[in-house]
Amino acid sequence: MIRLLTYWTLVIGFQVLVLNHLDISSYIYPQVFVTLLLTLPLHLKKTYQFLIGFGLGLVMDLFVYSPGIHMSACLWFIAIRMIILDRQDLKEHANNKLAYSIKTAGFSPFFYTTLILILFYHFYVLWLDGIGNIQVEHMIITVLSSSLLALTIIGVFQALSLNRYE
Amino acid sequence: MQRLFAFIEHNFHIILFVILQIICGFLIFSLNPYQQATFSKSALGITSSINKLSSDIYSYWDLKNQNSWLQDQISQQFRESYPQSLSYLNDTFHIKDTARHPLFDAIPAQVVFNTGYKTNNIFIINKGLNHGVEKNMGVISSQGVAGVILSSNENYSAAMSLLNTNMKIIPYINGQEYFTEILWDNTKLNSLTINGINKLEKLNIGDVVSTGNSSLLFPKGIPIGYVSKITNTPKSQYFELEVKTATNFRDLEYVFVIVNNEYSNLKKLLTND
Repeated sequence: MIRLLTYWTLVIGFQVLVLNHLDISSYIYPQVFVTLLLTLPLHLKKTYQFLIGFGLGLVMDLFVYSPGIHMSACLWFIAIRMIILDRQDLKEHANNKLAYSIKTAGFSPFFYTTLILILFYHFYVLWLDGIGNIQVEHMIITVLSSSLLALTIIGVFQALSLNRYE
Repeated sequence: MQRLFAFIEHNFHIILFVILQIICGFLIFSLNPYQQATFSKSALGITSSINKLSSDIYSYWDLKNQNSWLQDQISQQFRESYPQSLSYLNDTFHIKDTARHPLFDAIPAQVVFNTGYKTNNIFIINKGLNHGVEKNMGVISSQGVAGVILSSNENYSAAMSLLNTNMKIIPYINGQEYFTEILWDNTKLNSLTINGINKLEKLNIGDVVSTGNSSLLFPKGIPIGYVSKITNTPKSQYFELEVKTATNFRDLEYVFVIVNNEYSNLKKLLTND
């Protein structure tokens, strides 16, 4: 439990202290903390998943002062994740109370799931954030570049956890 | 009831999702200034359309009251705006209402029956003797002259329309009264003719033909129509004018009966004369 809390704290800290202050380009705004939602245990009840998503979104909104935006995005993230995972054969892993990861799902399913969810999350957050004044070109480039960076970092996280398992 | 509970239990996560999203929506559009402004603008666009629709429906149902109110207002204005003196046939004689009572009154009325396809057209209004409407009173619409009352009973009156071959009014054009008559020749709806105006007169298409001083039934200056065609026949020394009626008899609905408060006195004088 303590390890889990530490892991969550580190990821959230990495997001709010490092990634949110990246000053590389206005096109880069990676949201890596969603890996916490992506890798939630498979046996977790749907109600709890929504509550966790809501809570995590609330924490992120408090740090970036965007009331409701991350909360809403996290809820949609959980909902879409549920739909995608229902189509994957993960019952055995759920019975073993494992988390969703490259190891449990396999590289391709995990990659595609992550790709869809990450793209959706960045698109949704940037759309909500710029509502009423959306510059489509800027938004698309930001979504793609931020998603690419977020995917890379999540890939690194997964590689590190794989090494740990082995 | 058990089924309802079972349904809620089975779909609790969906209900929770919806509730939480509503909370998020509330937070997004109430605490983020930019989103709030955008939301307000969009919401205004939607609500204003709905409000307009509801207002239109309400206005439609309230039209009858509004019309009645407007008619009262117009007749009130009519009483106040027309002069308290009347000159008859310019130099013939001049009468002044020394008691300072308004010379003309207007009684608002609604047309309940109207013909426009006969040689001698009439219309019936919903005001009669009980309302002070009598034979030989002028009737005008908000656009201009409509007719003259032919007969009245307690609650209704029949009026001879301008579109009646027996209707004769002396025209007043460009500040001059012509001693000829405007007639309806039963050829076109809303179209009258004037013959007998000398070709030396300067007339133009669009000139207003109105009532002059030579009528006891109408105040001076009530539009009868507008000159729509001037025919210059080579063999004649007179113009033939086609006049489009100011009042549209196709949809005549609200009218005012003009009451000349001194009609009997003036008529008596004229008869004596």
